[in-house]
Amino acid sequence: MAEKNKARLTKVLDYLKYDDPFSKGVSFCPGCGLELLLRFIPRVLGNDIIITGTPSCSAPVLLGQNKQSWHTLSYFGTLMTGAAANATGLVRYYKKAGIDNTVVCFNGDGTANDIGFGNLSGAAERNEPFIYICYDNEGYMNTGIQKSGTTPYGATTTTTPYGTVHKGKNLRRMNLGVKMAMNKIPYTATATLSDLEDLAKKLLKAKKAKERGFCFLHVFAPCPTGWGANPADTIEICRQAVKTNYFPLWEAENGKIRMTKTVKKPKPVSNYTKLMKKFNHMTEADLEILQEDVEYETCLLGGLSVLEAECQLPVSAQD
Amino acid sequence: MSSNQYFNHEGPWSEATDSLMCTDTGDWRSKRPVVDKEKCIFCGFCAIYCPIQVMEMTADSCFEPDLDFCKGCGICAKECPKGAITMVSEGEFVS
Repeated sequence: MAEKNKARLTKVLDYLKYDDPFSKGVSFCPGCGLELLLRFIPRVLGNDIIITGTPSCSAPVLLGQNKQSWHTLSYFGTLMTGAAANATGLVRYYKKAGIDNTVVCFNGDGTANDIGFGNLSGAAERNEPFIYICYDNEGYMNTGIQKSGTTPYGATTTTTPYGTVHKGKNLRRMNLGVKMAMNKIPYTATATLSDLEDLAKKLLKAKKAKERGFCFLHVFAPCPTGWGANPADTIEICRQAVKTNYFPLWEAENGKIRMTKTVKKPKPVSNYTKLMKKFNHMTEADLEILQEDVEYETCLLGGLSVLEAECQLPVSAQD
Repeated sequence: MSSNQYFNHEGPWSEATDSLMCTDTGDWRSKRPVVDKEKCIFCGFCAIYCPIQVMEMTADSCFEPDLDFCKGCGICAKECPKGAITMVSEGEFVS
């Protein structure tokens, strides 16, 4: 009986080759997507990786408190403005010392897209050999749910509240993944927590590609506390984000974009927005703007993925 | 603090040589997952999606949560394809 049962075991467990370096009771909110991601990375990449990080939700756990530690990994805490620059310094030291190591720069979307973007851009240009992982919870959750560059249109945060004048965020979100892929770095990918096998494959690919230069991973990690979602829905939110094309899964090697999961019949974006309270106030017209934005991103990705086959500029009407 | 050959005047911020810090997160829980061993098909989805990674394989081909640390988020019950896990209120276990 036990033999027969074993065949059904999910393949993801095969990727978890290493021990969990974290202690069991870690103070993340219940249902936190970040906790799942943080425990997943060293179990796939190995416990000898060096994590650098910034003040964020991950920092209280990664940095430790009062001379005691929550984990046995090596961690280097930096400022938000210098995340990628500090990782560069570490990588260059290890190169000089002749030590073969994997440096993982683990930051939130606030550091990657807003505050530390200059560093990130510079490290991508210099093609520094380390892995940069951005966990995207669409806001500054650690400091009290303020809006960031990746907060989507219409979402309520403490700095974009819903009231008589303001109706949530009135700007569109930025697409960090495509921005980085356009730098033609060796490896860029987006991943989410509903497809852990895909995430593990991308992590291992990044570890290999890092020998050729800079690798960037954009991971969608929901925040039940900040988004007003049921903690049990964390994985369901990720799944719906993929099914509605709100967060498409793709990878790019040297700027060549390839979809890793194609959604044949994308669902309307309302399937995703109804799962959380931050979109509660949105009217049909608001949802249409968000839907249009999602379709624009999808078309952009589609266009970029056929870049190789039809690399000609569209002819203007005047010619 | 133990002496360190690399840092004479300044120690590392946090040390992992002693026992790791650990919070009693099982105390946060208001509902606990209860596994129905008959319905469990041993697919392991609860184990991989659990953010705290407390679902452990037992000898009789089943998964059991470590209730010392389970925060009671309910992801395992939601993701189980056979509906073998139910969230039961903690009040029912008070003796």
